Amino acid sequence: MKQKSTTKTSYHIPIGPIHPALKEPVFFEFEIDGEKIVDVDVKLGHVHRGVEWASRRRNPVQILYLAERICGICSYCHPAAFTLAVERIAEIEVPERAEYLRVIQGELERICSHVLWAGVAAHEIGFDTVLYLTWQIRERALDLTEFLTGNRITKGIMMIGGIRRDITPEMIPRIKKDLEHFKKDFETLRHVFLDDKTVKMRSQGAGILTKDEAMKLCAVGPTGRASGVKKDARFGESYFAYGDLDIDLITPDVLTGEVNGDVYDRIIQRLLEVKQSIELIEQSMDKMPSGDILAEPKIPKLLAQLKKASGEAVGRHEAPRGEVIHYVKLDGNENPYTWKVRAPTYNNILPWIPMLKGEQIADIPIVAASTDPCMSCTNRVAIVQGSKRYNLNKEELHRLSIEKTRRLMK
Amino acid sequence: MTDKKRLTPEEIVKFFKDDFKKDIIDVKIKTNTAGSKKNQAINIWMKVDKGVFKKVVKHLMKIQYPHLAVASGNDLGKIIELIYHFTLYYEDRLGEITLNISVDLPKSKPEIESLCDLIPGALVTEWEKMEFLGVKFKGIPDERRLFVPDDIPKGVYPWRRDETGPDKLYKNLHEVKK
Amino acid sequence: MRFSMLPKIFTQMFKKPYTNKFPAKYTPSSTTKFLADVGAGKAKLIPPVETPKGFRGKIQYDKEKCIGCKLCIKVCPSGAIDFKPEDKKIKIYLARCTFCSQCTDVCPVNCLSMSDEFLLADSDKYSPELIVE
Repeated sequence: MKQKSTTKTSYHIPIGPIHPALKEPVFFEFEIDGEKIVDVDVKLGHVHRGVEWASRRRNPVQILYLAERICGICSYCHPAAFTLAVERIAEIEVPERAEYLRVIQGELERICSHVLWAGVAAHEIGFDTVLYLTWQIRERALDLTEFLTGNRITKGIMMIGGIRRDITPEMIPRIKKDLEHFKKDFETLRHVFLDDKTVKMRSQGAGILTKDEAMKLCAVGPTGRASGVKKDARFGESYFAYGDLDIDLITPDVLTGEVNGDVYDRIIQRLLEVKQSIELIEQSMDKMPSGDILAEPKIPKLLAQLKKASGEAVGRHEAPRGEVIHYVKLDGNENPYTWKVRAPTYNNILPWIPMLKGEQIADIPIVAASTDPCMSCTNRVAIVQGSKRYNLNKEELHRLSIEKTRRLMK
Repeated sequence: MTDKKRLTPEEIVKFFKDDFKKDIIDVKIKTNTAGSKKNQAINIWMKVDKGVFKKVVKHLMKIQYPHLAVASGNDLGKIIELIYHFTLYYEDRLGEITLNISVDLPKSKPEIESLCDLIPGALVTEWEKMEFLGVKFKGIPDERRLFVPDDIPKGVYPWRRDETGPDKLYKNLHEVKK
Repeated sequence: MRFSMLPKIFTQMFKKPYTNKFPAKYTPSSTTKFLADVGAGKAKLIPPVETPKGFRGKIQYDKEKCIGCKLCIKVCPSGAIDFKPEDKKIKIYLARCTFCSQCTDVCPVNCLSMSDEFLLADSDKYSPELIVE
């Protein structure tokens, strides 16, 4: 990263990603020579600083809903990691049925998130028809979420010691019907993305992140796995019911036989993960034992139990974008002493620099969107060309990206 | 990676204690079980003296190149405690071990060496600690403001609980009208 | 294959669009006139998509059953519930409610429940429509 003598100040508003098209401010500064990028500089604004401070005046049950609103798309993984940490401190034993239900909700969220990402990536290339197709597929997944939890995005289903709503036998036929639809939709998506020549032309060879760089920069999630680094919190650690299920670690060589670390590999990685999620939901529905779903159904007793607990613990969960880690410290008061949240995109920001060096400007949207940033797509990009500075905002970058696709198609 | 023998948690602790003896102050190994088969998840908590911290991390890299998840911080009155969360053996099925190394820094002189030459990915998390707790990292490549907005004055550290905390800047909006 | 989306686009031309056109097919030029027409029976309002059972909409409060234990105030994440000490009942401000239904779960006498009403937009935060007591 280079120091600039004059920096353009832009006001960063720390709002959560409310809109699914990821319009949150990240400030880049590129140094370019003609059309090629020579150097990259990143300046960010945070989403959840105020959130961690707000947790100092709320008890753990209230913090669950606060944690859910850190992010709109990965809104299940933050309460999940928080309850893991709190349950480890207070030594609460979660019933087995609740663990399987948690897996089902988490994988359903992963399907929604990856399908949304597929649409956004297609939109960045200029392939708008696929955007509408993926949004239609996602509607079915969101309707299923609404049926199971009561709301489409802010699910509000996690509780310390279990889960709030059960899957009754009447709900099961509808879930099975929807899973069959998902499998057909996955085949459609796979055919569109991986067999289409335009997608291959734009994405192969663009935005390469080698395995060595991914390990040194601590890349997490599909961004790291597409470069060959085998890190997956569901695979390595035993939490919820993932220890009982049959999970493989997916890297792009399952489909193509080699790992390049470019944008095409990341597309393959995410589509294969959608397939894996459908299989995991089926496995957990078959293996789910019966029983109760909450370790302590009466909330006042639970709050009293948490008030007496003290200690510190770490909870990790595999969100659709990578590994989420929460650190909680309780000290005998009702409110926690410390709560540290690390969303997966923070580790995935530094890999942007080696990925973007040497690329053309028109490739910036697809490379930046391929890491699926949750606080993301650049709101304003300042270009320094020789001694001239001019601003390119998102609409112009998008236009440049579409024009490049048209050029390649000829 | 080479096929080194996989160490158990007790052997990992012994690996450090052999070389650093009394600079490793406090060690706790915690296991938690989950699911029907009750597989274990292992957490090792170690407190290390601040002078040997970088050598401990170099020693850790002999086991495997670790994954630095994040560094979290606590304000404990006169001491600032930094906790670095590493994970090892992430390629083994159900074998990942979380190693949490904590360092105590006195508030009058909160300085520590930066890990950016060993693990370049530590830049973002160290930057954050610099802004939010006021810790100085020797050798960090970049010292501008990253996360805190520009209109917050320079001496205010948002995570601290003493007079340099952000309490003066907080406005109680919900008490305005109900 | 170069144009793999083409068969799908072709079949889409013969299908009904997926969007549910709530409340009317095209934006009416005057909203108040449109609503007056609906009241008189001259225009039809297309209904929204059905909500499932268990949908978390507007809170309903049964005042007789409430015992004033204040547990709902303790668990509300956004501080939307106010206690009235003189008659030991509560007042809920929907402008701050996050619709998490934690208060309905915790109430010991089950005086709170969630309906399926979700068309709650208003221009005044403290209008009587948005206060439940």
